Amino acid sequence: MMATDWNALSDEDFRAAFRDLVKRRLPTELRFMRKQRPLFDEVAVWYHALAEEGWLSPVWPVKYGGMGLNPAKHMIYVEEWGRLGCPRIPDHGIGLIGPLLIEHGTEEQKATYLPKILSGEHVWCQGYSEPNSGSDLASLRTAAVRDGDHFVVSGQKIWTTLAHCANWIFALVRTSRDDKVRQKGITVLLIDMTTPGVKVRPIANLRGETDFCEVFFDNVRVPVENIVGEIDQGWNVAKSVLGHERIFLGAPTRPEIAIERLEKLARARGAFEDPAFLSRYAKHRLDLYDLGSAFERFAKVLRDGGELGADVSILKIFTTELYQRITEETIALAGEDARYFDDIEAGNDRVDAMNLFLDSRAPAIFGGSNEIQKNILSKAVLGLPG
Amino acid sequence: MPRAIFDDPDGTLAMLRDSVEALSARSPGPASLRAKRSRKGDSDPALWSAMAEAGWVGLLLPENLGGAGLGLTEQAVLSEALGRALIAEPIAASSVFASVLLRDAPSSTERDRLAAGLAAGSLRVSPAWRRPSRHSAARMLAASEDQAGIALDGELQFVDAATSATDFLVVAPTRAGGVLLSVPAASPGLTLEERAGVDGAMIGSLRFERVRAPRERVLAQAESVDALVDNAVLHARVALAAELAGIASKAVEMTISYTKDRVQFGRPIASFQAVQHRLVDMWSDAEFACAAVVNAVVRQSGSDRRAARMAVLAAKARAGDAATSVCRRAVHLHGAMGFTDEHDIGLYLKRAVALSATLGQPEALRLEFVELERAA
Repeated sequence: MMATDWNALSDEDFRAAFRDLVKRRLPTELRFMRKQRPLFDEVAVWYHALAEEGWLSPVWPVKYGGMGLNPAKHMIYVEEWGRLGCPRIPDHGIGLIGPLLIEHGTEEQKATYLPKILSGEHVWCQGYSEPNSGSDLASLRTAAVRDGDHFVVSGQKIWTTLAHCANWIFALVRTSRDDKVRQKGITVLLIDMTTPGVKVRPIANLRGETDFCEVFFDNVRVPVENIVGEIDQGWNVAKSVLGHERIFLGAPTRPEIAIERLEKLARARGAFEDPAFLSRYAKHRLDLYDLGSAFERFAKVLRDGGELGADVSILKIFTTELYQRITEETIALAGEDARYFDDIEAGNDRVDAMNLFLDSRAPAIFGGSNEIQKNILSKAVLGLPG
Repeated sequence: MPRAIFDDPDGTLAMLRDSVEALSARSPGPASLRAKRSRKGDSDPALWSAMAEAGWVGLLLPENLGGAGLGLTEQAVLSEALGRALIAEPIAASSVFASVLLRDAPSSTERDRLAAGLAAGSLRVSPAWRRPSRHSAARMLAASEDQAGIALDGELQFVDAATSATDFLVVAPTRAGGVLLSVPAASPGLTLEERAGVDGAMIGSLRFERVRAPRERVLAQAESVDALVDNAVLHARVALAAELAGIASKAVEMTISYTKDRVQFGRPIASFQAVQHRLVDMWSDAEFACAAVVNAVVRQSGSDRRAARMAVLAAKARAGDAATSVCRRAVHLHGAMGFTDEHDIGLYLKRAVALSATLGQPEALRLEFVELERAA
């Protein structure tokens, strides 16, 4: 089959093609799922459908089975995905490991791993954080000691999203120490999670779901050829991933969902007649509207073929804080109903006020906490002294 | 650093920015502002002439009326640059608002005379249309018509460049809906009272006692007057938003530079995380203000009038809040220096407060936005 040149389509035609795909291949019960991070088996139908249709991997180059979308088309892809309520798939393989292997992997690694990501045979998770290495990731201690043509890995990862449905982990491990430059001595290893000595323990989150896990390594033997890039130089490999995709961390999607719930509850309870509520609502509404304008400012850079700088993370800070403000407003409007863990009545409908309030705690923390983002902005954008 | 980013294929916008910088190097805004304040003026005539000569005062007027024939994008860039430079002249009222009224009014000898004079700087045309608020004891302006023309009685407030004015563009209610007419500043029966504005310029109130204007001075009548004023308000709000965004951006830059220089405990205070995070928040607010201004300008060329109005309301609200709150924090981070009249940062704060209060405070604009959106 000849690969389609998706970038040559008009934006409208591309959008229409995605909608058509969703209409044909996404089962209704998987649309607008409440669960933020479904397990692989729960959404496998959608995963395989995307693969069959050639839509699974939007940004990989065509020669590796991707769509090769430019950033502008990729933004449409992500927009439509959210708008049509497509469920999130376990996407570490597609979004993170694939691009890293394409950039830093050997030809052999690409030939081995990329097709298995597309087929769903390998489901990946990302082993970065450790119990004592969160924001300060470079302090990580999970050790990989050379033993012949293997590394022996011991230590622990945590906050490993979807590790309990993954069979491979992309891990940052310590192969040597340099007390002056802690980023040195970190190596990227691809680890088969069915190897003896790997243990996964899911962690329940505030919403009562188990999105993330602890992963333990007890003398796990990993072949030396599973290194990505140079030994001790893994920090640069791990860092190179973000690129234009950082804009998606700042997308207005979450506050959009939250304000729709707030409006529903406000209508049902007559809150729009209350001037005090209306004033607060207007503030949130305009914050969301202006976030759209700010998002467009960065999206335009990508559409015009430019590259994003560190400044794009103001979107991440703004959208995650706005998400919190709106869900807090919804809880306040709920009155004593805010004692309920499950959804609350809004006229003939129900609203997941508590679910979103709890969910909104997370995005300000993950992907680099907002305080870390501000530290980076201070240096990289404002040029403030250390 | 924050800036309203527009496509600039032929470099016009960059040139406009450069010329504002060149003017501000020759004649710094803060010095002009202080001089104006100490002589209780409402404008700096030399600065205004230079701006007219550069083509900025008549920027929005078409070329056949003596203007530069440019659009809202150029106006936004100009106003932003003036805001940065604290060239605190009444550009939103005496240039933008007046130009849009004259541009949109039906052609007449009087309209053409005012437009040409405004653009050339030979006339100072100051809009007078703000009726006393319901909290004021002042008398509402009323116009009556007879065969000789219009007679005006009552008061109008918040007139910028009132003493400098050669002509006022007066909007008065009539039985038929309203009238837009020009009234020479020297008209018998017209008196002016002034109060000091927080930004250093005097603000005028006009009292009309049987002020008579011949029919030739009537520029528009009946329903069309509301539409004219509406469009002038829209344009002026964009200009104000852009000026406020410029003020916010410059205040962030000044504060970054001050905190990098100021050493306490043996380190520049900009190296402290509490200060750094505040600076990032200020910078982010200024960036959002710039993005909102760009959105407001871009939406004007779309066909959806409601969306275009909403974008302007959002931009003026965002930029007003950003500029006032950035400047408040900027004063704070300048420490005691920030509280002195000698340092320019306080002048930025005062200008921000004044412009944010002009043509709608943020809260009122947000409520108008929500009302428009919910009415749909």
